[in-house]
Amino acid sequence: MTSDDSALPGDAAPDDDLDGHTMDELSDYLDRGRTPYDASIENSAACRLALTGMTRLQELSWAGMTKQSRLDPHRDDAWISGLLDTIKAEVQSGRDVPLSHPDATLRLALTEAAVRGMIRRAGDTMDGVIMGRCQLDGDVTTPGAPVRVDVSASIRFGMGVDRVADELRERVASALRRHTELVVDGIDVTIDDIYLEDGHGHD
Amino acid sequence: MSDSGLPDDPDGDRTSDPSPADDGAESRNPLEEAADATLASRAMDGDTHAFEVLARRHGPLMRVYSAKLLNSDIESDDVVQEAFLTGWRQIDQLDSPAHVRNWMMRIVTRKAIDRIRVRRTHDDIDDWDPPAPAETSPERVVIARLQMDAVWDALDKLPSDQRRCWLLRETAGYSYQEIGDSLGLPLSTVRGLLSRARRFLLTEMEAWR
Repeated sequence: MTSDDSALPGDAAPDDDLDGHTMDELSDYLDRGRTPYDASIENSAACRLALTGMTRLQELSWAGMTKQSRLDPHRDDAWISGLLDTIKAEVQSGRDVPLSHPDATLRLALTEAAVRGMIRRAGDTMDGVIMGRCQLDGDVTTPGAPVRVDVSASIRFGMGVDRVADELRERVASALRRHTELVVDGIDVTIDDIYLEDGHGHD
Repeated sequence: MSDSGLPDDPDGDRTSDPSPADDGAESRNPLEEAADATLASRAMDGDTHAFEVLARRHGPLMRVYSAKLLNSDIESDDVVQEAFLTGWRQIDQLDSPAHVRNWMMRIVTRKAIDRIRVRRTHDDIDDWDPPAPAETSPERVVIARLQMDAVWDALDKLPSDQRRCWLLRETAGYSYQEIGDSLGLPLSTVRGLLSRARRFLLTEMEAWR
């Protein structure tokens, strides 16, 4: 099997001659992002027309699929709720974060997952803030051991980064003071994304 | 893309706040505004609500994609559910949170192809390619019909090997080599199949101009 396009008998593609290029060549060229620039392609009206057609076809097939996926907004509820039932049962609770109790015979602890959830909520409830990653660095299982908190967040366009970061740090610190006995050594806040109110940037 | 919003949470666990573990307890879900990267990072931290938003955002498209790959609407639900479950369990292996959609797309592709393989060992249904229907005359189709629908429907007229190659290439972004590896086809065959699929789809698309 030497020639790829005639690999299967019967309906070998006709030899197209687009100013000396074939559709396959053009497709490869398109896949490479039209680089390196090929003057013999770009200067040929026939080639450019074919490239436009192929680009349009790619857009249309993606658009058609997207449209199809939105026909019925509840079409996916069943499998998604099945999925959620399973994953909620599988949540990893992480390390235990001990809490002291006047009764020494009682051992109390929060799960690390709970602490992370609390930290995320402290940020998510701020206007214009969506929390991202959240890590507890340090030995959270030993009372009194210093812990660093590392969080990231995206904020709405137009908000002052410094001010938001400061307020976020304060809110996280206060939530941790209120609900845990962690000795917080520092809270690192990274603002890693800015989103627009409407056309948010997840495409 | 402003989706219509999450359906009401049947558990009602967004309104009450029984335990700190139940994070994301907002009544309106601000996470819907969040970028994929943010949601994926949170999911890596064990945030099920973030993963749910990802599933609702991208799941429908993947369900449609796998239905097209499998030629089965019913099986596609199982495939996409399995795929997201795998995604959740293996989220540590996601290198770049921003690329979570693409990563999930690949998992969906693998699951769908697994199904196709199983089918093949049981019967030959899959190898039966419906003959392409005779050229539908444009007159018979509603004039306002979009090219978009034409292309989408035209995919159904392709033999399944061509359709699969096309979907893997154009939807999941597989390289020719990856398509060959996934479907167990020589590279030259993949090339030929894609070439024929492209030619056919272009013709169909032009017909509706």
